[in-house]
Amino acid sequence: MTDTKAPPERREVLPVDPTRRTEIDKQRVPMSARPYRLLALVKQDAVVRVQKEPDDTVMTWPHLLTIEFLAAGVMSIFLLMMGLFINAPLEELANGNVTPAVAKAPWYFLGLQELLAYFHPTVAGVLVPAFVLVGAALIPYVDRGDVLAIRPSQRKTAVILFTMFCILGLALTFVGIFFRGPGYTFVIPYVTAPGMYFAL
Amino acid sequence: MSFLERVDQTIRRSPVWRSIFRQPYPRDERSRAYAVMNNVFLHIHPVRVRQHAVKFAYTFCLGGLSFFLFLVLTVTGVYLMFFYVPSAAQAYDNILDIQSQVTFGLLTRNIHRWAAHLMVFFVFLHMMRVFYHGAYKPPREFNWVVGVVLLFLTIMLSFTGYLLPWDQIAYWAITIGTNMGGYAPLFNTPVSRILLGGVEVGQNTLLRFYVLHIMVLPLVAAIFLAVHFWRIRKDGGISGPL
Repeated sequence: MTDTKAPPERREVLPVDPTRRTEIDKQRVPMSARPYRLLALVKQDAVVRVQKEPDDTVMTWPHLLTIEFLAAGVMSIFLLMMGLFINAPLEELANGNVTPAVAKAPWYFLGLQELLAYFHPTVAGVLVPAFVLVGAALIPYVDRGDVLAIRPSQRKTAVILFTMFCILGLALTFVGIFFRGPGYTFVIPYVTAPGMYFAL
Repeated sequence: MSFLERVDQTIRRSPVWRSIFRQPYPRDERSRAYAVMNNVFLHIHPVRVRQHAVKFAYTFCLGGLSFFLFLVLTVTGVYLMFFYVPSAAQAYDNILDIQSQVTFGLLTRNIHRWAAHLMVFFVFLHMMRVFYHGAYKPPREFNWVVGVVLLFLTIMLSFTGYLLPWDQIAYWAITIGTNMGGYAPLFNTPVSRILLGGVEVGQNTLLRFYVLHIMVLPLVAAIFLAVHFWRIRKDGGISGPL
C-alpha cells in the first residue's frame, strides 16, 4: 500500500456578504496591499535578542591622536620655554678635595638621604629602597581584593596605605630639598640660612 | 583654485607621494581605521579606543608624555654626544664649549636637563594615577611590574646622567648617592665599588656612568617600553572606566 499524501485542501474563502460586514471586516485591508498578518502581540522581553556589547568606543583617528598631538605640542613649547629662559646649573670643575657646604644627592634620592640622618646606611641606603621597589612591584599580588572594585571608595585600605606612603616619601624629600643646609643641619631657607642649598 | 591648493594637489597626486601614502587623507571611518592600522608609528594604538580613555582627566596623558620625554631626551642626548668626551680631563671643558660654542648647544643642554627631571616626575605621577585607578589589578598585574622596572630604569638614567657634566654638583651628588647604596653587597663586593670602578668617583666612574647612560640603560628601557606598550593592548586596552 503506497502512502500518498493528499494535496492540501484548498479552502474556498467566500467574500463577506456586504450586508453582513461588521466593523472588523470594514477595517480589513486586502492581502495584496498588506502582505502580512498580525499574529500576536508579544512583550519585548520574550523576543530573543542578539547579545551585543554596548559600543562605548570612538575612533583613534581623530579622537585619541588629537589629544596626544596637543599634549606633545604643549610639552614641546613648555620645554622650549624652560630651555630658553632657565639655564641648567653648572658649578666649578669637579674637585674631590673641595667639599661643598652641603652635598646633596639628586632630588629623587633626597628622601633616602633624609633617612640617612636617622638610620644606619644599611637601612636608609639598601633596605628601604629595596623594600620600596620590591614592595611596589608586589602590590598587585598582595592586593587580592575584588578585581572589579577599582573605585578608590571600594578599596579604602589600599588607597589609604598608598597615600600615607606617598605623603611620607614626599615629606622626607621636601625636608631634604628645602630644610637642609651646611653640614646637613636643619635650616629654614632665607630665615636661618642666607639661601637655599639645592641644585636641580 | 589658488596657487597653494594647486601645489598641494600636485604633490598629493605625484607618484612619490602615492608610493608613501597608499590611502588618501582619511575622512571616513574605514580610511581612518586603515590610517591607524597601516602606519608603523600609529599601529601602537588600536583602531578604536574606549570613550573614557580619550578623556584628558582620566590619564592626564602622563604615560604618553613620559614616553614623549624619553624621545626628546634621546634626540637632544644624541646631539650632545657629538660634543662630549667622557674623560675627567675634558668633560667639563666640553660642557663649557657646548654652552658657548656649539650651535644651540646651551638650549639643547637645558632642554635635556629639564626634560630629564620632568620625566622622573611624570613617571612618578603616572604610577600614582595607575594606582588610584586600580589599574594594576588582574589582568594587568605584570604590566604594573614592568612599570616599576621602568621607574627604576628612569631614575638610574637620570642618576647616571647627573655625573656627566663633571662639576661640583655632579661629583658630590654621585658621591652621596653611591655612598648610600654602597652598603649593598653584590657577589661579595659592595655595589658602589662596581659602580664607581674604584673607591671614589673618578675617571672609571665617569666612563661607566657614560656607557650606562648612553647605551645600556636606554636600550634596556626601550625593550621594557616595548613590552609595556604591547601588554597594554594584550591585557585588554586601557583600564577603567571608574
